[in-house]
Amino acid sequence: MSSRHSGYDRLHHENRNSDQAADWGQIRALFAAGLHLDLRSARAGQRSRLKIPAMVSMLATYAIIGSILALSLVRTSDPFTFTLLTFSAAMFMTAITVIMEYSSVVVSPNDYDILAHRPVSSRTYYFAKVANLLFYVACTATALNLPAAIVVGFRFDGGAAVGFLYMIMALIACFAAAALVVLLYSTALKLFDYQRFNRAITYVHLLATLALTFGYVLLPRMLIKEDVTVVIEKGPWIWFAPPAWYAGGVELSVGLGDSRNLILALLAIASAVVVIHTALTMISLEYSRSIGQLTESSPEETIRKDRRKLRTRFAALGIVFCRNDEEKAGFQLMQAYMRRNGKLRLRIYPAFGLPLAVYLFGLVSGGLNDPLGPRSLENAFPVRELLGFYCVFITLFFASAITQSDQWKASWIFFAAPVENRVGLLIGARKLVIWRYMTPFFCVLLVLLSFAMPPVSATLYLFVTFVLSLTTFALLSMASPFMPLSQSIEKTRQARQMGLIMLLGIAMVFLVAITETLREARLAGTIAVVLLLALAGLSEIALRKRLTSRLAGEEFLG
Amino acid sequence: MDTTDGQRSDPTDLDFRTDGQDSVVAIEFRGLAKSFGDIEAVQSLDLKIPRGQICGYLGPNGAGKTTTVKMATGMISPTSGTALINGIDIAGSPLKAKLMVGVVPETGALYENLTPIEYLTLVGRLYHLESDAALEKAEEFLRLFGIADSSERMMTGFSRGMRQKVLISAALLHNPDILFLDEPLAGLDANTALILKELLRELASRGKTVFYCSHILEVVEKVCDRVVILNRGEVVADGDVDELKEMTHRASLEDAFTELTSEDDLGAIVKAFSHSITGRAREAGNEQ
Repeated sequence: MSSRHSGYDRLHHENRNSDQAADWGQIRALFAAGLHLDLRSARAGQRSRLKIPAMVSMLATYAIIGSILALSLVRTSDPFTFTLLTFSAAMFMTAITVIMEYSSVVVSPNDYDILAHRPVSSRTYYFAKVANLLFYVACTATALNLPAAIVVGFRFDGGAAVGFLYMIMALIACFAAAALVVLLYSTALKLFDYQRFNRAITYVHLLATLALTFGYVLLPRMLIKEDVTVVIEKGPWIWFAPPAWYAGGVELSVGLGDSRNLILALLAIASAVVVIHTALTMISLEYSRSIGQLTESSPEETIRKDRRKLRTRFAALGIVFCRNDEEKAGFQLMQAYMRRNGKLRLRIYPAFGLPLAVYLFGLVSGGLNDPLGPRSLENAFPVRELLGFYCVFITLFFASAITQSDQWKASWIFFAAPVENRVGLLIGARKLVIWRYMTPFFCVLLVLLSFAMPPVSATLYLFVTFVLSLTTFALLSMASPFMPLSQSIEKTRQARQMGLIMLLGIAMVFLVAITETLREARLAGTIAVVLLLALAGLSEIALRKRLTSRLAGEEFLG
Repeated sequence: MDTTDGQRSDPTDLDFRTDGQDSVVAIEFRGLAKSFGDIEAVQSLDLKIPRGQICGYLGPNGAGKTTTVKMATGMISPTSGTALINGIDIAGSPLKAKLMVGVVPETGALYENLTPIEYLTLVGRLYHLESDAALEKAEEFLRLFGIADSSERMMTGFSRGMRQKVLISAALLHNPDILFLDEPLAGLDANTALILKELLRELASRGKTVFYCSHILEVVEKVCDRVVILNRGEVVADGDVDELKEMTHRASLEDAFTELTSEDDLGAIVKAFSHSITGRAREAGNEQ
């Protein structure tokens, strides 16, 4: 080694000689390319320039959610209570966002064909992906937590310095939450052989959603139960709730420090370091090989074919609801894709974890009382309404998933073939989703709810929720009027739609109003249900009209 | 110089020679095999390709050509056997081996949301080229390929041929010793195809080795020094074009290829297709 080599050069040179080492120059290049890819639209024929709105609109959505959260807690006088709740929400949303984007960010073999034959080590490839993910998390976490940090700065002793510290702790908390998800998937990638991983990851997604919803959102609420203006008493539970560790750190900074808060703060930092470090190193060396194996064809598909016959037959029965050939084509296309395309399943199945988590919470807390029985004031937390909310929320995932695919360019066939009724293709795809996924899910939920309330009440409650879900699904499809699987998957798209959570509140107003009317006056309630059915019918008609006008002039831009 | 199992790891010290030939081996497959479950895509492939040779790698669909390229370039791991690039085991020292290789993949995969310049600069960095040098070369290649005007446009709207030009540029950017080209002419216009064919001959004369997978037999016949034909994962013929013709007693490479890889009567298949498309009933009606 010549003497002119600096320490960095020498290190770089040695790294280059090692097939395992990370190459920071390559990581920088891949990270920069990743940013370009994230910030640009996939539309054809555009001039190269940063397309800010996609990213900005996503961040604006998160900022609005963060503002609502911060303002709803502004009356809280206790910094620990405030930060516990805001950190819980921020960590949950970060984790859910990473779950939603994980398949396209980290466990994605999409760019394997581009990079696999180049001299890029496994660790470099992995670090570049994780760096991209962490940048993304940093942006969303900042948008989500900045309003709360401002509130903290004004509301509690210590002013701007505390607000700044809150922001730092919030970022660390969100990084830790993201790293936890990465760790979860890394473990799955390590435990399962690559052939099973594709299938297993879908259920890992579902379990992760369930656990996160239960752990980060519902558990703290269960512990509080009362109005959020009061101070949450610290108990032994704080040692098991990560948001409480970070909250302890913030409380320490406003001069309310005791030894317990100090330990909590240290626990927060130490756990974040351990989780992030483990997430970075656990599979980095075998990452490239694992992703490569994911790209190889799996003979298991044919093995499992027979096992799936019954479900396939059930799904195929739904085709009787299709009116014409186009609807049948859309139905069958979506049926095949839902069955075989792991990525598509990956984007839908996590949604089921949300209502299931609320159901579990309802069972534990006793909040799933009879909607038609006498009103109970004991439990202030609206578990039943939250369950309905998440049932409707699932449609958001479906509406987004049925129009997007990484093989979107194959949609040229819809334009080249003499398709008279393009609307039918999407309608058919929607019918498959309703028949194959929504209907069985509501049936399962009916059985589960029958353990918590009289079956008649459960049936009526879920019927109203189901019709509301169908109406919402129609409205969401109107907002996304494309042919099945004809749009590219953009990283920020699904996260942006998280903002629609707020809009789904309208559906909840309907749900509460109808169940309350049914409880108080059966006749009026029945009329309300009939009106809801009429609304659902009208939304379907409106959807067809919207699709007809929108898809008639649609051109293939692939 | 590190030596493992008799394989030299220093790419600059090349003295691997084919049996009885006075030439350096650039690509070597030793018992290379790949299975996907019960399917044996490539079966114990043994092959030595000397430096400066253009080796055509032919075979019907599903014969295992692309799988071979993927194994040779480190994209997938072989089930057994090794692939050596300038004497370096691609599985043992992938980064060293990959530095010497340029690849045009069959999939045509590239980052479409980047511009050609951005993509080529990225590729240059991955091969440790200086930014300015990579940029300069990228611009030159794009100009030579006639797509300089589109160098600042995202590639989402590019035609197949324009993408292929970018892919070929990316494969050549770091001046590799060995090129793996999987259907490199896909989508290229006649003039560009001609340029590429001449370029390959020129590069071969300068000591570059080309592993050329294609279905276009006329091009293989004109460009390649040697032709290896693969069928169902096994090498069924290996030699220059004249040797293959002689071996199969056929007048053209196309006929030789058919003889070696097809057990069916192609004429009968064509007739059956025709029947199926136009309908037997109509044909029966016409006959009446």
